[in-house]
Amino acid sequence: MPISRRTRTAVKTRPRGTVLAGLVLGTLVMSGCGPAQADNSLTWYINPDAGGQAAIAQKCSDESGGRYRIETSLLPNDAASQREQLARRLAAGDASLDIMSLDPPFVPELAEPGFLAPVPEDVAEATTENVVEGAIAGATWKDELVTVPFWANTQILWYRKSVAEAAGLDMSGPVTWEQIMEAARAQDKTLGVQGAQAESMTVWVNALIESAGGSIIVDPEATADTVELGLDTEAGIAAAEVISTIGKDGLGGPGLPTQAENESLIGFQGDVGSFMVNWPFVYPATVAAVEAGTLDQAVLDDIGWGIYPRMSADQEAAPPLGGINLGVGAQSDNPELAYEAIQCIVSVENQSEYFVTNGNPPANTEAYEDPRIEESFPMAATIRDSLQVAAPRPQTPFYNEVSTGIQQRWAPPAAVDPDSTPQSSSDFITSVLRGEQLL
Amino acid sequence: MTSAIPARTTTASPAEAGPSLEAGNGNGNRTKAGRAPKQYSDRTRAERRLGWILAGPAFVIMLLVTLYPILQAIYESLFRFRLTAPDERAFIGLENYIVILSDPVWWSGLWTTVLITVVTVLVELVLGFALALVMHKALKSVRGLLRTAILVPYGIITVVSAFAWFYAFDINSGYVNSWFAWLPGIDENLNWFAQGPTALFVIMASEIWKTTPFISLLLLAGLAQVPDELSEAAKVDGATWWEQMRKVIIPNMKAAIMVAVLFRALDAFRIFDNVFIMTNGAYGTEVLSLLAYRQSISRLEIGLGSAVSVLLFLCVLLICFVAIKLFKVDLAGSQGGK
Amino acid sequence: MTNTSTRNKVLWAIATVLVLVYALFPVASILATSFKSPSDLTNGKFLPSSGTATTSNYEQILVGDAQGLFLSALRNSIGISLIATFIAVVLATLCAYAIARLDFPGKKLILTTALAVSIFPVISIVTPLFNLWRTIGLYDTWLGLIIPYLSLTLPISIWTLAAFFRQIPWELEQAAQVDGATTWQAFRKAIVPLALPGVFTTAIIAFFIAWNDFVYGISLTSTEAARPVPAALAFFTGASQFESPTGAISAAAIIVTIPVVLLVLLFQRQIVSGLTSGAVKG
Repeated sequence: MPISRRTRTAVKTRPRGTVLAGLVLGTLVMSGCGPAQADNSLTWYINPDAGGQAAIAQKCSDESGGRYRIETSLLPNDAASQREQLARRLAAGDASLDIMSLDPPFVPELAEPGFLAPVPEDVAEATTENVVEGAIAGATWKDELVTVPFWANTQILWYRKSVAEAAGLDMSGPVTWEQIMEAARAQDKTLGVQGAQAESMTVWVNALIESAGGSIIVDPEATADTVELGLDTEAGIAAAEVISTIGKDGLGGPGLPTQAENESLIGFQGDVGSFMVNWPFVYPATVAAVEAGTLDQAVLDDIGWGIYPRMSADQEAAPPLGGINLGVGAQSDNPELAYEAIQCIVSVENQSEYFVTNGNPPANTEAYEDPRIEESFPMAATIRDSLQVAAPRPQTPFYNEVSTGIQQRWAPPAAVDPDSTPQSSSDFITSVLRGEQLL
Repeated sequence: MTSAIPARTTTASPAEAGPSLEAGNGNGNRTKAGRAPKQYSDRTRAERRLGWILAGPAFVIMLLVTLYPILQAIYESLFRFRLTAPDERAFIGLENYIVILSDPVWWSGLWTTVLITVVTVLVELVLGFALALVMHKALKSVRGLLRTAILVPYGIITVVSAFAWFYAFDINSGYVNSWFAWLPGIDENLNWFAQGPTALFVIMASEIWKTTPFISLLLLAGLAQVPDELSEAAKVDGATWWEQMRKVIIPNMKAAIMVAVLFRALDAFRIFDNVFIMTNGAYGTEVLSLLAYRQSISRLEIGLGSAVSVLLFLCVLLICFVAIKLFKVDLAGSQGGK
Repeated sequence: MTNTSTRNKVLWAIATVLVLVYALFPVASILATSFKSPSDLTNGKFLPSSGTATTSNYEQILVGDAQGLFLSALRNSIGISLIATFIAVVLATLCAYAIARLDFPGKKLILTTALAVSIFPVISIVTPLFNLWRTIGLYDTWLGLIIPYLSLTLPISIWTLAAFFRQIPWELEQAAQVDGATTWQAFRKAIVPLALPGVFTTAIIAFFIAWNDFVYGISLTSTEAARPVPAALAFFTGASQFESPTGAISAAAIIVTIPVVLLVLLFQRQIVSGLTSGAVKG
C-alpha cells in the first residue's frame, strides 16, 4: 500500500524536520539582530571590482593602528542600480552609510537634498592637489566639493594600426570622427561605438556634444521646472549627424543597437575591427584573451591608441569622463573618522596600486609616476592627457531623467534624425522633468 | 483540539465547499439563507470560533502583506513625491493619473503587455494541451521520464530561463543565428534584440517555455476527468480523432481550460523578469510592470510610480472580472496561483 | 497488428524525444555556456571551442572572487525559501482544514482574499513595503523577505490544500472511532496518512515559488545578510565593470537549478498529483 509507505517516511522524518525548523528559526533570530558594531568600524559601500577596494580597506585599517576598521559592502554591478540602492538608503536616513563609492553623474542628486556630509576644508584641500580638472568637476556641486575624487576614467581612441595605415591616417596627432568614419566605410570595416539603449549611449552623446562646444544642460543648477537643455543646438545637431550616419550607413555593424562597451570590444578584436572609442579595460581584457589562447598575438600587436576623436579638426575633443568619487553619508555616526579613512584610501600610493592591480586609472596625476604603471598600461600617458581635457556628464540632480531620456530617444543610432531627434528629445526630457510625461 | 471537530459528516456539496469568486454579490448569503432556520447551538458557535482560529493567521498575514501596501500605494499616488526631494512633497489629487493616462508611453506599454499576454496564453494552451495529451496517453515505461522532464522548466528560476534564452539568441554569444541561417530572414547579422518584434519573440519564447508545464498539468487534470466511456462511445460511432476531440473531450474540459487560461493570463500580464533581463524595455518591449518599476524604483518618483501600480492592479482586476462575468469561469473547487 | 504496434512505438519514441528536447534544451544551453572561457563566449557555437572548455566559472563563484557573494546568496536563498515554505504550509494547512471541514462565516472571504493577493502585481507592493521595512528595521533581513514570500506562497497553498482536503473521505475518521480509537488516534491513523501527500506537494510548489522570486530579492535587500541568488546574479562582474559576467551567471544558474532538478526527479509523482488534485473538479 503506497499510503502506509508514505506514512512511515513521514513519521521518520518528522523529528528531523523539527530540528531543522529549530535551526533555521535560530538563524533567523540571529540574522535579525545583525552584527554588533564596534564604535570605530566604518562601512564602505563599494562598486564591484577585482578586489582592489577591499585590499585598500584592509591596508588602511591596519595602518590606522586601530583608530578605525573599514568593512566593505558590495553594490550591484551597474551604476544605475548602485545609485538606486544608495539613494533609497540615504533618503531613509540609514546611519550605516559611512563611505560610499559614487559614480560622478549621481553626485548632485545626493548632494542637493543634503544626503552627503560636507567635506572638511583641510580634507578638500589635501585631496584635490594634483587631481585632474574633470574629476574635480565631477566631485563638485554648486561650487563646493561634496565628494573626494578617488579614481578617474576616460575613453580613448583605440585603432587597428593596419586599418589606419591603409587609410593613410597620421595617428601621431588627433583625428576627427569624419576621418575614422571614412576609413571604416572605405575598407568595409566597423567602428566600435556604443549604440545600446544604456548609460553608454549618454556617455557617447555627451562626449560628442561637448567636443562640438556644447553642453547637454545649459544651466545645471536650475530646478526641474526651469532647466534648459542644450540638445537642440548646433552642437547637438552635429552630434546627431555623426550618430545617425554611423547607424544608417551600417558603420557600427549589425550589433550596434545592443552594443555597449564589452560588445564593441568583441567587434574590435574581430576581422572587421577598425577604430573604437572605449575605456582602458580594453587592454587587460585583450591581453587576457591572448593568454587564454582565444586571440592571436598579432591582433594585440596591431592595436594602437590615441586621444578621443574630434568633431572638427580645429577644436580639441572633450573625451568622456568616468570614475569613482568617495562620499560620506550625512547620517553617518562618524563623519570625521570616515574622512580620515578617505584620505588614506585616496593616497597617491593607493591610487597607483589600484591602477596596476585593478586597471582603474588614478585621479591624481602624481600617481602616474609609479614605474609599474608604464609596464602594465603602456597607454597610461594617453589616459592622463585625456583626463586633463575630459568633460563630465551633466551635473544635475535630475541626471537619471536626462540620461534615460537621451537613451530612449537616441538609440538605436539608425533611428536618429539630425533634423528632429535633438528637438524631440529635448522636448521629451523637459516634459518628463515637469512631471507631464512618463519615462 | 480534534475533539472540537464537528461530527457532522455531510460531505460538503460543491456549492458549499467550492467558494466561487462571486462571493461578493450575495452568493455568500445564499448558503446561509438556504439552510434551515438558524440555530446557534453551542456546537455551531464552537465550530465558527475554531474555523477562525485555524484560518485566521493565514488570513491576517495575507491582508497585512498586501492590504497595507495597496492602501499606501493608493494614498501615495495622490501626491507629487520624489524620494530625493522630500521637502517638495505636495498633494495633487488625481493629476498623476491624468499624466499617465494621457501619455502614449502608458498605452504602448499596455498594448505590448496585452500582446504578450494573448500570444503566450494561446501558444501555451495549444502546446500545453499537446503535452497533456502525450502525458495522458504515454506508455507506462516513459510516463515518469516525461513528467520529470516537463517539470524541469516549471521549477526553474525565471531569471535563469531569461539568461539561457538571451545568451542563445544574443548576436555576440549566441548560436541560434548560425544554426538557423537556412531559414529566410535569419543570418549571422540578425540582431534579435535590436527591434521590438524579434525581441518580443525571444521574450515570449522564454515565458512560454517556463510556464507551459503549469498549463499542461492543469489540462492533464481536466483530461483525466473526461469519462472514458464518452470517447469510447464516440469511437464506436465512427468519429475521427479530431471529431472526438472537438465534440467530446474539449467540451468536457471547458472548465479546466478556462481556469488555466485565466490564471496564466493574470500571471502573464504581470511579466517582469524576462523583459528586465533581456532588453530592460528597450525598442518597444516596455511592459507595464517595468514602467511601474522605472517610475518608483529607478526614478524614485513615489507618487507617479504608485499611480502606475494602482492602474496596473486595476487592469488585473478588470481581466478577472471580465473572465468571470463574460466567460463564466467558475473557480469553484479549482486551485489558485501559479 | 505488429505493424501498428511498431509504428506506435516509433511514434512514442519520437514524441518522447521531442518532449525531452523541449524541456531540457535551454538547460543544456546554459550548461554549455557555463564551461566557456570568457574570450570563447563569442565563438557562435553551442559548445565551447575544443580544448578551451574550463571550469573556471565554477571556481570563480565557489572558491574564487565571487565566492562570498554567491555562497552567502545560496545560503540565504535556501534558508529563506525553506522557512517561508514551512510557515506557509503550516498556516495553509490549518486554514485549508477549516475551509474544507468546518462551517463558519467568512470562508469565501478568505478564499477570495487569497485569490486577490495572488493576482496582485508584486511590483506594486515593493515600494510601500520597502518604506515600511526601513522604518521597522526589517530591511535586508531574512524576516523581511520571508513575510512577502508568504504573500506569494500562502494563496496557492490554501487553494491547493483546500481542494485536496475536500477529497479526503472524512468518514474514515468516524469509522475508526467506532472501532474504538480515540479522537486523536482516529485523526492520526486515518486522516494524516491521507492528508500528508497533499501537504508535501504543496510544500514543493511553495518552495519553487519562493525560490523563483526576483523582484522582492532585488528591492528589499542590500547586503549579503539576506540577498537571495536571483538578485545576486546582478552583482556578478567580469574582469572589469564593463565586461559581462556571462560565465559566472551561467555557472550560478546551473548550481541553483540542481536543487530543482533533484526535487523534480525525486518527487515528480507527488508534484503532478498535487498540481492536478481537485483542480477544476466538482
